[in-house]
Amino acid sequence: MAKKRMMSKIISLLAIFSLVATALAGCGGSSKNDAGKQGNSSDASNGKTITWLSARPSDGAIVQTMRELADRYAKDHPGFKLDIQVTSDRPSYLTKLRTLVASGEAPEFIDMDADPYAQQLADAGMLVDMKQFLDEQGLYDQFYEPALKYQELPDGSLYLLPMEYHLEMTWYNKKIFAENNLAVPKTIEDMITVSKAIRDKGITPIAVDGVDVWPLLRYAAMIPFRATGNEFARNLSQGKSKMSDEVGMQAANFAKEIGQYFQEGFATTDYTTAKNMFLNGEAAMYTMGTWEIPSFTEDNLPENLKGNVDYFYLPTIANAKTPNNEFFGNSGIGLAATADKFDATTKDFLSYVLKNYSDVYVAKQQMSPLKFTIKDETQFSELFLRVKKDMDNYGSEFAKPWDTLLDPDTNSVMSDLVIKLMMGAMTPEEFANQIDDTIAQNATN
Amino acid sequence: MNVLKDKKAWFIFIAPALLFYLGTVFVPIIQSLNYGFQDWNGIKDAEYIGLGNYTRMFQDPYFWNSVQNNLVYVVIVVLMQVFIGLFFALLLSYVKKGAGIFRTLYYLPAVVVTVAIAQMFRNFYSLQPLGLLNMFLDWIGLGYLQTAWLSNPHTALIAVSLPEGWRFTGMYMVIFYAALIAIPKEIEEAATIDGVNGWQLIRHIKLPSIKHVLSLALIMCTTGALRGFDIPYIIGVPGSTTELVTTYMYKKAFATNQFGYGSSIAVFIVIESLIAVLIIRSIFNSRKGEA
Repeated sequence: MAKKRMMSKIISLLAIFSLVATALAGCGGSSKNDAGKQGNSSDASNGKTITWLSARPSDGAIVQTMRELADRYAKDHPGFKLDIQVTSDRPSYLTKLRTLVASGEAPEFIDMDADPYAQQLADAGMLVDMKQFLDEQGLYDQFYEPALKYQELPDGSLYLLPMEYHLEMTWYNKKIFAENNLAVPKTIEDMITVSKAIRDKGITPIAVDGVDVWPLLRYAAMIPFRATGNEFARNLSQGKSKMSDEVGMQAANFAKEIGQYFQEGFATTDYTTAKNMFLNGEAAMYTMGTWEIPSFTEDNLPENLKGNVDYFYLPTIANAKTPNNEFFGNSGIGLAATADKFDATTKDFLSYVLKNYSDVYVAKQQMSPLKFTIKDETQFSELFLRVKKDMDNYGSEFAKPWDTLLDPDTNSVMSDLVIKLMMGAMTPEEFANQIDDTIAQNATN
Repeated sequence: MNVLKDKKAWFIFIAPALLFYLGTVFVPIIQSLNYGFQDWNGIKDAEYIGLGNYTRMFQDPYFWNSVQNNLVYVVIVVLMQVFIGLFFALLLSYVKKGAGIFRTLYYLPAVVVTVAIAQMFRNFYSLQPLGLLNMFLDWIGLGYLQTAWLSNPHTALIAVSLPEGWRFTGMYMVIFYAALIAIPKEIEEAATIDGVNGWQLIRHIKLPSIKHVLSLALIMCTTGALRGFDIPYIIGVPGSTTELVTTYMYKKAFATNQFGYGSSIAVFIVIESLIAVLIIRSIFNSRKGEA
């Protein structure tokens, strides 16, 4: 009897153990198996198949452009095929990428931000030096300078290529502003004053996408960029500056203050919901980049907003170090090539893509990172042409988003804390101290 | 049946399942255990750092915060799944006609895709645009209670726990119901003749009879909740208010490339679950009667 009980105990323990273990299976050994499958598929077909692991919208203009260019290229190079593997959800994409890299299965082309992770890969010699490649192909000067600079790694080297080019602005509802006699904010302080006046009328001042966090981080980065350029963010990421320094505290205080003017429950509002709030006239302002131009052209605006939407760029502060024509902008996630798979075909294809990119891409009503001129203005919306002018008048460097500078660990802590700070669940001092602690830990690592 | 007396045949029969189990379950666990002693970011070579990850874990305030949250999550999920499940099962055992319909209806959430459930609850809790819950509060005159349930730091953890509890309440109900209707009718009848009332019948006859099932269900749902991941991961606020041990583990291992540290947290989850199982079993075994 006792033996039987012992046996049943062991069996039930084993059963439980297996239940527990299934959760863990995902984080340990299974990753390698997945990666193996990925790698094999690209070798199977005849001719040269190049794989591009992409994090861009699956049917977006960039993927379409690349597909068209690959088809054209294939006409002259029989058997050539570009296999585009899209994972648009960024966290899932990054997991996939990191797992593939960890198991040595990264494909020819990958997408990545110019963050410390990319720096680690570059230092390990896994990526192709794009500065060298562009110089060799005579393409370096063909790019808009801020677009390339944005892709530079923390140490100033270039391993990533921009495929897009955007400015970031705050879109505002002219009607709400006019009805309340409000002027477009000139300084960052004005933004608070304007927001307060709007909220006092019972209207949500700012719609923001909190789920993705990066739009929130932009607000925290506004004052430091105006006060120091990208210096503060760079120093912060390297442990040379502290969040509890004066500029950092100004940023934290501003973040907490502006947080009150977001829609309630912003932490769970996703990208589309936030945009729709603005488009439905439920919020007065919405900060987003030029990739949303199609949503804001007169033809596409909803009836009640037609003629009522305008934009302004990052306001300034007293004693600003950066000129008014420098603000947030980006050239999106970068394209990297893995060094050990960068053979003649891959190289030739990349060169072909860059030389023909603007022709195809601009025709899709997109701003290309490769210099372009508009021949037939009637093909484009008024808004597009206006933003194109802004781009031509842009300064030399973009405000760097913090999430592309900080190390992954600090980044994830920062994302968590900035939400708490903006929701009013912690003080700017607590925020600064916890960030400094995290950075100190990661700097010693 | 004689063939089963042959030890070799017996082994051949169980070998495929055993090998599969070892390969898919046991090996990853051992690997996790191994990674737990390493410092590895997936790029450079892994380096053995002994108990480094574990000492770091015990000093990590975010980790302890996630353990705390996880305990609250376990309590809510277990209360809902086992107790509400049991309550419904008892009610259902008195229903003579149409029990099948109720059973199916309550079981339904268990077969819905997690992401769909998560999305549904996100909309349900939403304040802007107005979700069902806040609409309902307004409608019954409790409009002042309206809040963004998932982002409010005071309600977020509870709001994230409820969907998981809700989802499997029906499943546990079906398990309990099956056990309840399997109790021999004669015992109930004998007790009724002896003058036992309804509550006594449940307390002294029905519940003790399904003790095995209760303990199994409790173990399943406690370990399940300790490993709870999907719904909190999808709808949880990015912020430490709804961080669970599993989501923290995922974050460390995959979002910030600390595969070693992540693995040590995974090992913690295994140990934590085993301890929970031992506690539950010892509670049930210490009670009078044969377990």
